[in-house]
Amino acid sequence: MAEIVQSLLGGFTIALKPLYIYYALVGAILGTIVGVLPGIGPIGAMTILLSFTLTMDATGAMILFAGIYFGGMYGGSTTSILLNIPGEPASVVTCIDGYKMTQKGRGGAALTVSAVGSFIAGTLSILGLMVAAVFIADVALRFGPPEFFAIGVCGLILLVRLSGGSILKSFIMMLLGMALTTVGMDFLTGAERFTYGILELGQGIEFLPVAMGLFGIAEVLTTVEQKEFLQPIQKVKWRELLPTQREWKRSFPAMIRGSFLGFIIGLVPGPSPIIASFVSYASEKRLSKNPEEFGNGAIEGVAGPEAANNAAVGGAYIPLFALGIPFTPAMAIVLGALMLHGVIPGPNLIKVKPDLFWGVIASMYIGNLMLIILNLPLVNTFVRILKVPKNILLPVIVLLCLIGVYSLNASLLDLFVLAVFGFIGYVLRGVGFQPAPLVLAMVIGPMIETSLRQSLNITGGSLAGVILRPICLTLYIIAALTFIIPLVWRLVLKPHHSKRSGLNEKPLDV
Amino acid sequence: MAYRAGASLTGMDYPRRTMLIKETCRGSGLKMESKSQKKEKITAVALFGFSLFYLISSFRLKMGTTHNLGPGFMPLLIGGLLLFCTTFNLVHVFGNKSIEGKMEDTAAGGEKNYRAIIGILSCITAYPFILGIFKFIVSTLIVAFVMLVILKPQRPIFSFLLGLGMAVASFLIFSRFLGMVLPSGFLEPILFRIGG
Repeated sequence: MAEIVQSLLGGFTIALKPLYIYYALVGAILGTIVGVLPGIGPIGAMTILLSFTLTMDATGAMILFAGIYFGGMYGGSTTSILLNIPGEPASVVTCIDGYKMTQKGRGGAALTVSAVGSFIAGTLSILGLMVAAVFIADVALRFGPPEFFAIGVCGLILLVRLSGGSILKSFIMMLLGMALTTVGMDFLTGAERFTYGILELGQGIEFLPVAMGLFGIAEVLTTVEQKEFLQPIQKVKWRELLPTQREWKRSFPAMIRGSFLGFIIGLVPGPSPIIASFVSYASEKRLSKNPEEFGNGAIEGVAGPEAANNAAVGGAYIPLFALGIPFTPAMAIVLGALMLHGVIPGPNLIKVKPDLFWGVIASMYIGNLMLIILNLPLVNTFVRILKVPKNILLPVIVLLCLIGVYSLNASLLDLFVLAVFGFIGYVLRGVGFQPAPLVLAMVIGPMIETSLRQSLNITGGSLAGVILRPICLTLYIIAALTFIIPLVWRLVLKPHHSKRSGLNEKPLDV
Repeated sequence: MAYRAGASLTGMDYPRRTMLIKETCRGSGLKMESKSQKKEKITAVALFGFSLFYLISSFRLKMGTTHNLGPGFMPLLIGGLLLFCTTFNLVHVFGNKSIEGKMEDTAAGGEKNYRAIIGILSCITAYPFILGIFKFIVSTLIVAFVMLVILKPQRPIFSFLLGLGMAVASFLIFSRFLGMVLPSGFLEPILFRIGG
């Protein structure tokens, strides 16, 4: 523990350098802005800015992205509470009670509770992140290729299971992502795969244009079709920001519960901040002595979910820093940024690049402090950003995507890939296919293939030797259970429950 | 609220229009619904076609042995699974008669600004071509101008000036401050010097 504290102090000496403070501030402001703006979320912003981080060092890039990710969660709640418009999906739940509080004249109190909850949760989750990442990385140093293969496969399976929507569609997207990673030269034999004589394809399809197309361009195209419909913006006065003693008393336990729940859910593959906010809302409602208040402006319905989605951000960093495997689309982008700077995350990262790891951790604390200082006094300014007309904002985003992709390799092929995946992303979203499994599979895919081939090489071609190792088997069982339990619940337990309660059973969702 | 035949939908506000489209859907029903299903069917066929093509292409690669997997093993595995899933999806989409739960999507479908969507996509696709010819500032200006005009028809001079502002600002930010190498013609070096 003393070693952790000492390393953290070392991290603060790095994070307190003026340049890194500047990156943290820019990240926090940018994150809050994209959080406020519906249409473009923190993932989109991180994707667009990915290639621009090339001019920074890896630590600077990580600090900027951490600021954007945490800031996005803060900003999203502002418009949810004041305008009933969730700036990003993790703030959807906050609309329910947050906006009701605004209608009752308690919007300012909801904003403060949300900001304080986010700060507490963010701080606790960073604490959890630094302890857990160090511990897991130590354990993971003993992992071999079969374990990494199992983690990769199970990560993708859990992501498919927990992404929401149709499992079949998520599975197809995941396989499409895996298929894209097979384009280009085989890293072990040097054989060309699916290049069809196109020289540029020999190096494979870059992750960045695909991610920018799916998250940036597709997002723009989806936003184009939505009509601008802005309610009058409510101004919040300073004195309205202070919650009453009763409101503090009710929201504080919800913040703590939300923080722990969010942190644990953040470790699970999938859109963890979204899942965390929904689970927290449901649990707060169940635990409340006045559940009838939920939906009518219960402060716990703001405090819990807002704490949970921020805590999930800290949790989501653990698999990336400790294992080198991203479990959420945002972490896939962060991994992309690390790789652009030649940093390969994995169990060795904390030992090999302690400056980067501890610097980022320390900057997260600083960023969280900046966010709470910025968000409350500037709430009216941030809400005013919504007044920027869509017809100016969208071309700017498209230009950023185009320049960002071009600046990466000065490759015209990358620009075509951007256009193609922008279109594909838009079309597929329209029919219910989510881009997250594809993007994650593109990042994890090569690791899965490498570790499978290495594993079979080690075990002399024995598949049982790859699967039946204790850690691997445990992971496969967990992954299988995520499918089996809901199926058993639907086929065996729920019909009885429905019969008793007189409900009709819906057909199985594929 | 009754829907008057021939009434202009574009002149109404968004919630009223959506409500009218929903009501029209309920009244004349399956015409709007079939549009949404058609999209699903086209996507399902395209995905099936892609997976078939991918699987067939993967047969050309060396499979290797269980001890030493070749470059073709993973593509074959992915292709096989992809074909299985897309076939299942195809069967599901073509066999699905249910219209429940699609109304919202269909109603939104009636609102889509296809002109803007196609325009933006054309700009993105054209950008790599014109970038080589006109270099950074002019290409960026053209693309920004077209997008501004498409998204909100306004006085061309206003769109032009706004587009020019975007092109110059992005050049200065990315080239000067972020040190990125952008395609340069005769305008860019001048601007680079003006920028200090």
